[in-house]
This record gives sequence, structure tokens and C-alpha cells, in this order.
Amino acid sequence: MANHKVTLLPANQTVEVPTGSLVAEAIQRAGLDIAQPCGGQGRCGRCAVFVKGDGARRRSTLRLSAEDIESGFALACQTVIEGDLTVSIPDQERIERRLVTDKTAKSIEVPFPYDQNLQGVRAFRVYLPEPSFQDNKDDLTRLEIALAGAGYPEAEVPLALVRRLGSVVRESDWSPWVVLEAETWNRPHGPARLIDIATDPIEPVALAIDIGTTTVSAYLVDLITGEVLGSSAEYNGQIHCGEDVISRIIYAGRDGGLAELSHRVRETIAELLVRLEKRTGVSPDHIYKATVAGNTTMAHLFLGLPPTSIRLAPFIPTVNMPVPIMAHDIDLGINPLASVDCLPGVASYVGSDITAGVLACGLSETGQLTLFIDVGTNGEIVLGTHDWQVTCACSAGPAFEGAGVVNGMRATEGAIEEVWVNSGTFEPTWRVIGGGKPRGLCGSGLISLLAELFVTGVIDRGGNVKLDLDTPRVRQGDHGPEYVIAWAGETSTGGDITLTKVDVDNLLRAKAAIFAGFSVLATSVGVRLEDVQQVLVGGSFGKYINVEKAIQIGLLPDLPWDRFKFLGNTAILGTYRALLSRDERDRLRHIARGMTYLELSADNSFYDAFTAALFLPHTEIARFPSVASIWEREAGLTPAGGAA
Amino acid sequence: MAVEIPKEKWSGTVREVTLGATREQGGTRTRTLTVGGETAMPHHAFEGSFPHPPALALEVRDRKPTDWSPLLLQAWGAAMDDPAAWAKAAEQAGAELIFLTLSATLADGKANTAANARAVVRKVLEATGLPLAVIGPGQAEIDNELIVAAAEEGKGERLLIGTCEDKNYRTIVAGALANDHVVQSKTPMDVNLSKQLVILIHDMGLPLERIIMDPTTGALGYGIEYGYSVMERLRLAALQGDSMTQQPLIVTPGEEGWKVKEAKVGEGVPAAWGDWNRRALNWEALTANALIYAGADIIVLRHPETLRRLRGVVDALMAA
Repeated sequence: MANHKVTLLPANQTVEVPTGSLVAEAIQRAGLDIAQPCGGQGRCGRCAVFVKGDGARRRSTLRLSAEDIESGFALACQTVIEGDLTVSIPDQERIERRLVTDKTAKSIEVPFPYDQNLQGVRAFRVYLPEPSFQDNKDDLTRLEIALAGAGYPEAEVPLALVRRLGSVVRESDWSPWVVLEAETWNRPHGPARLIDIATDPIEPVALAIDIGTTTVSAYLVDLITGEVLGSSAEYNGQIHCGEDVISRIIYAGRDGGLAELSHRVRETIAELLVRLEKRTGVSPDHIYKATVAGNTTMAHLFLGLPPTSIRLAPFIPTVNMPVPIMAHDIDLGINPLASVDCLPGVASYVGSDITAGVLACGLSETGQLTLFIDVGTNGEIVLGTHDWQVTCACSAGPAFEGAGVVNGMRATEGAIEEVWVNSGTFEPTWRVIGGGKPRGLCGSGLISLLAELFVTGVIDRGGNVKLDLDTPRVRQGDHGPEYVIAWAGETSTGGDITLTKVDVDNLLRAKAAIFAGFSVLATSVGVRLEDVQQVLVGGSFGKYINVEKAIQIGLLPDLPWDRFKFLGNTAILGTYRALLSRDERDRLRHIARGMTYLELSADNSFYDAFTAALFLPHTEIARFPSVASIWEREAGLTPAGGAA
Repeated sequence: MAVEIPKEKWSGTVREVTLGATREQGGTRTRTLTVGGETAMPHHAFEGSFPHPPALALEVRDRKPTDWSPLLLQAWGAAMDDPAAWAKAAEQAGAELIFLTLSATLADGKANTAANARAVVRKVLEATGLPLAVIGPGQAEIDNELIVAAAEEGKGERLLIGTCEDKNYRTIVAGALANDHVVQSKTPMDVNLSKQLVILIHDMGLPLERIIMDPTTGALGYGIEYGYSVMERLRLAALQGDSMTQQPLIVTPGEEGWKVKEAKVGEGVPAAWGDWNRRALNWEALTANALIYAGADIIVLRHPETLRRLRGVVDALMAA
């Protein structure tokens, strides 16, 4: 048999291997390391290398784009050597960026050319004529004249500011700094309202908040530049009163329940404000505006409105389109005179988090048939184009936000966000946010782990852990059967990190609810999922999702990977846009008014679609052809199911 | 003018499943039982073929049950004291399958054992030449222990063993694979769940010709409509060609019918309810009758008189 010379870069080593050897074998023969977390199955794409020469035959190129293959990339475990070759091994990070399945959300940037006048808050200095015996007008009249001169006649000056007016104008030598709100969406022509007056220059800042059932996120926004100064997220303190909106509504109906829930979410926001102040040095007192999105129940609880009717047929909320209020009305710990704008929602179960999401993802402006999925505790789904949009909501539970899962956590440092399981040994390899020891699993890590356990046969299609496998990683734990992803010695908590059968069931229910939601939605408007031209995925899983794995578990439809875009937390991105610009705020109102809402609880087909989706990837595997082919190869048998 | 009756054409067929193995087939049964094979909705003989009549089975316990209606104790008498005698009596009453249910406990209150399961299976196999089903008490751990033992004891007899449920099926399926048996796949009244469990069992390598579905049904007046409609939908899916729903259906109206107050209680009920024995028998028979119309392939009963009545129904249906 002929031998071929393989030169390995950057080590610049040469090895001779017989025809038919794999590139991976040549690399190992040279004593070099190459990552093969999936066990050399051509499944994970992590062993991508750059080959030069005609001696390479690619058996499989899964996960590499056409351009990558064109430019010389190949999978070391799937490439057969048939001639002399030069192989360069790129570093791991470079590989991961090339994989078409890995979708990372963009970092936050100002979404359009920003100018302070696009929104209503203004900060400037006013010059008041000094009083004298000849000019004995009172301080307030003097200020009003100055504001009128600046273009804001008849500006309202609240009593709280009048109280400080005398000392501030004198200390500032009759040239105080003022912050005013020139307009709000419901008062587009003013009059302006004074929010603050001070002796020193003021840099006005605003707050965008997304109140999720499980996670509350906030951006601190500089109103001069439009930039995000800092962002932070935390679990909603209301979780202790129930995991989903229904249990929160029930809790709110108890004696003192509504007040407690209102208080708890404000406490969570207060905590975010403390963190943001620490990080940016901006005092909450200088936050002069807040724009808030949240599902309808969260908005009701935030405003202290009883949410009872949301739960009762025919599911009518008290308000879908609240008018702005002042921060002191609801005790929000920012400047008490700042206005708080709660964005408009559509219906009881499609709130402003979803209208803001539509605004952020651009669905209302595209001609392409678009499916927008916001994966949260309530999975909201919108299907449509710029001409029409239909929407529905389904209760997914908090699993994808890392809550309600034994070792779940938010997508912050220490969270495992990507996992591969070796199909021969069942040993895992993982990637941790921040690179340190793992503390738990975030939403994308959970999706990834579930997919790997399914594809490698550690769990069956119903999610049962196969305890008869020959590995210590599957065992009977305190919470039933489980898989150990990290041993105590490898974690920063000092305990094992596991995925239990109960966790798997929670994840299955969550993904089934979402899949059932969009399949019913598509059917209701006569659209086939295959015809969807782009799928935009939002959610608070952090910055990353592996779409292939999300398809493998049946969370996302089996479409070509390039049709998916991951946008991160779309609710807060849309809120941020609405905060920055009155035009965006108007557009959002139109979106809220124009969407058609489908009530799934009034639809018989939802439950059926849900139980059909309570399986990996789905009872009808024919709906997931790409998964069927991988699974068949991995499991070594023909997958059953689907129409004959 | 001649009226042409429109006929539905179906692409799918219910799978044929055979229970019991004769000496030539590696077992000791004198008869085997094949069910399934339907090519149209239940008893629409004008639209398709029905190669096998619905099979009537009688339930037999490994020991005399303590919670059965006195009417059943009366009907079976002393035969209930010995599973072999009971099985023989059931055969004489016209059963085509002995449905042996193992109890969770022994007479002394201790957990049932693998040794006891083996002994009972052996006895019953020797007492009758009918095919045999062996079903556990329905508690995962005990089921696995007893059914694996029973499967080994009955190796080659092509028993129907169960109960496979979505959270506990692997051990029993492994027992069926190793000893050449058929499994009963039971799910709680849902088309998708029925289908999923068949897929899971099949994924372990058990051929589809060795799976019978129990869709779970209710008694007359206790949710029978729901069970009926799930069976109907399963059959529609099967005939439309959905492979994983093409398993024959087994139902247990004996157990369900005798659980309800109307059948169980003879005293302290309104006089208008009429004669207890008549009412109880009607309850079991009418429940079973409805399930036959819904497409049941194996009907497990408890009272010999009910079996006699249903034999008439089945004969009439097959003659039509």
C-alpha cells in the first residue's frame, strides 16, 4: 500500500501514513492533539482543519459551509488521505466561529443614527434674569419665562421641584441645569414637564427594562449618545410565588398577594439598579425615563393592577396599552419624576415583550415569510411579513432560562453553554461561559446536552435515562435517574452537575409547548413550516445557541441552518429602540394594533400537537429528516415513527 | 334505481400478531391466537376484510383476589383457589386466551416473588393448552422482577407480557426479546402517547409483530366515550398508513366494569337500580360490547357469563 507524506502546521512536522488513513489519525500519529469531543463521528465539527493538496477526500462535511470547503476546510475525522497533503490545525476558537450551526447574538449597539431630539428628554442650562427691585417677579415665573425662551412655553413644574427652586437658582447663580420631558407618545405636542433642576451639569440617562416571568433584564442608556452604558439581568423575585404567569395570577388573588408581587419585582429592579450604579457610577436619581416591556401579566403586576381577569375566559386584561405614569406612582427607584412608559401589548397572553420583539427583529418590515420565536417562560410566537402578523403564546415554563432545573442557571459566568458527548464512551466535553470551572447549565447548555444525550442514546426518545448503559455517568440519583455531566472535583460548586429525568421532562414540556405553538399557528394560516424563509429566535439564553441541537431536540423546525438567526433578548432590544426614538415607539403601537392574536386554549388541536411534540425530536420523525439520518447512524438502527 | 353505497378505501392494515406457540413452533400450546389484520374501520365488512374475530380472554389471578365482587367469587367458586384450576375453568368457559395477572403480594402480605411467578406460570401452562398473557401488578420494580422470571419460565411459549409503560418498559421488552414473547404496551388514553411507546419499544429492537397496544379505556358511564374516541382515532391513523399505530388493541372491560359502584355494590343502592347480578353483568357486557365496536382485538373479561353473551355478539358481527 502506498504511503503519503502529511505535513502538519503550525508544528511543521511530517508523518507518513498509508492510503486511506484519516487526517485525524495522521495528526495523532504525529503526537499532536486535535479536539474530537464527539468521538470522531463527524458530528461536532470541532476537528475542522485546513488542508492543502489534492490528496484529501472528504467523506462528510457536515457543519462546514460551502465557502469553507471551497477555501480548504475539512473535518479531520471524516477526511481520507489519498495523496500528499499539508494540514494546518487552527486554534479552537477560530474553528467555532466558522461553524454554521453556532449562532451568536450581536453585541449591543446603537441601532440607528441617534440624536437626542429623537426622544423627549432634554437636558440643558437655562439663564434666568437676576431679580432686582425693578424686576421683582417670583422665581417660578422667572424660570417659566426662561423655559419659554428655550422653546418650552407653559412647561409644568411639579411642586417637588418648586420646593427646591429657590435655593438651586441662587446657588447656580441664576443659571441652573434643567431636565425636562418635552413630549410623550400620548402628548406629542407637550406641554413639557420639568423633571429635575440642579446646580451642576446633568447627563441624562434612561432605563430600558424587560420584565420576564423568570428573568428581568435592564439596560442603562445614555440619552446624549444613545449608547448602552451597562446591562444587567437577574431572576425575577416573584419566582418564589409561582413559576408561571398562571400561578402568579392565582397568588395575586390572595390576601396581600398583589402587593407582594408588585413589591418583589420592584426589589429585583432595585437590585439591578444597584449593580448598574456600581458598574457605571450613574446614580439612579439621574435616570429620567424608563421604558418597560413585559408580558401582560408582568405589566399588570408591575403597575399594581389586579391580573385576575387574564386567567378567566374570555381572557380580557385590564389594559393592553397603558399611558405613561411617573416613577413615584409605583415607587420605582429612579428619579421620582421620571416618566415610566409601559409599552403596548396585544392581548392577555401576548404582551409588550413580544411587540417589542417584533420591532427589534424586523419582522414587521420584511417581505420574507418570517417566524419569530421568543423562547421564554411564556413562549411567544409571531408568524408573518410586513403585511400581516399572527401571534400566539404558549406556556413553556422556565426551563430554558435555567430555572426549575436542578443544576440550571442563567447564562452568566460559570454556565456550561455547549456540550458534546462522545458516542462511544458517553464522556462529555463542555464549554463554560468565562472559561472557568462550571457551576451549572444555562438554557443553551441544556438544549445542547439534551440533544447530545438523545443522539448518543444515553436517553431514549421519550427522555428516559438508560440506566443499563455501561458508564458511571448514568445512575439512580436523589431525584431519580440522571446523567452526570461534571464530577464534583471539576465544578466550582464542589458538587456533581447532573441532568435528572425530571429536568429532561421539564425541557421536553417546554420545547413541546413551543413547537406545538408554532405548528398550530402555521396551520391556522395555511402556511407550511418548510415555506418559512427565516426563523428569528429570541430569548434570554444569553448570547449563544446551537441551532442544530435545538432542531435535534425538536424545539426548532428542521429547516436549513442558514435560515435561522439568533437575536438574544429581543424584548429588551425592542424596548431600547422604543426608548431612543418616538418613531420607533409609534411603530410599536402600530405593531400592537395590527397583530392578530390566536388563543390556543380555544383551539382543540394544540393539545394534540403538544403531546405529539413531547418526544425526541417529535412523534413524527418524518418531520425532522436531518435528525432522523443522524440518529439512525448513531443508534445503528432505523428510527421508527412517521407515516409509512 | 340501484343505490351504490360509497366505500372508504384505506391504504393501511392493522398488523397481525400471534400469541402462543405450538410444539412445532418451540412451545407447548395446543392452540395459538392470531389477532389484527383488519383493513377497514371496525366491522365495516363491506369495505375491507377482517381475517380474525375479536378474541375473548378471561382474567385469572395467581391467588384468589380479596377485592373482587362476591358475584365473581360465586361464578368461579373453588376454582379461584388454584390458578391452574381457574385457568382450566376459563378454558371450559370459552376463553381463547388466559390473561394471568400476578398480585403485588403473596397471601402472607409479603411482596410477590420471582419464584412464585415462575411456579404459577408453569402450573397454568400445564393446566391449559391456550395461549397465555402474564401481566404484573403495575408497580415498576415488582413488575420487572416478576415478569422477567415469568418470561424466562415461559421461554418459547410466545406469551403476551406486560405491562410496558412509558416510564418502565426496558426490562420487560428485554425479557420479551430474550425469550421470544409479545409485549403489551399500555398508555393513558392518548393517541400520541400510544404511538410513542410503540416507537420506544420498537427502538429496542422488538419487531412490530410482537407489540399489542392497550390504549386504556373506562367503564360505561366512567369515561368510555373518551377511550372509545382514542381507539377510533388510533384505528383511523392505522388505516391511513401511520405505521406506529397499526398494532392490535387489547382492552380490559372486565377490570373496569367490575370496578364501578353499579357492579360492585349490591346493598344500599336505590331500588330502581334493579337486580344486582343482572346489572353487574350488563355493565361488564355493555362496556365490552362498545369496545368491540371501537375496534378492540382482544377483550379481557372477568365473568364467564359475560363471555358467553359476547360470543354471540362476535359471531353475529362476523357473520354479517
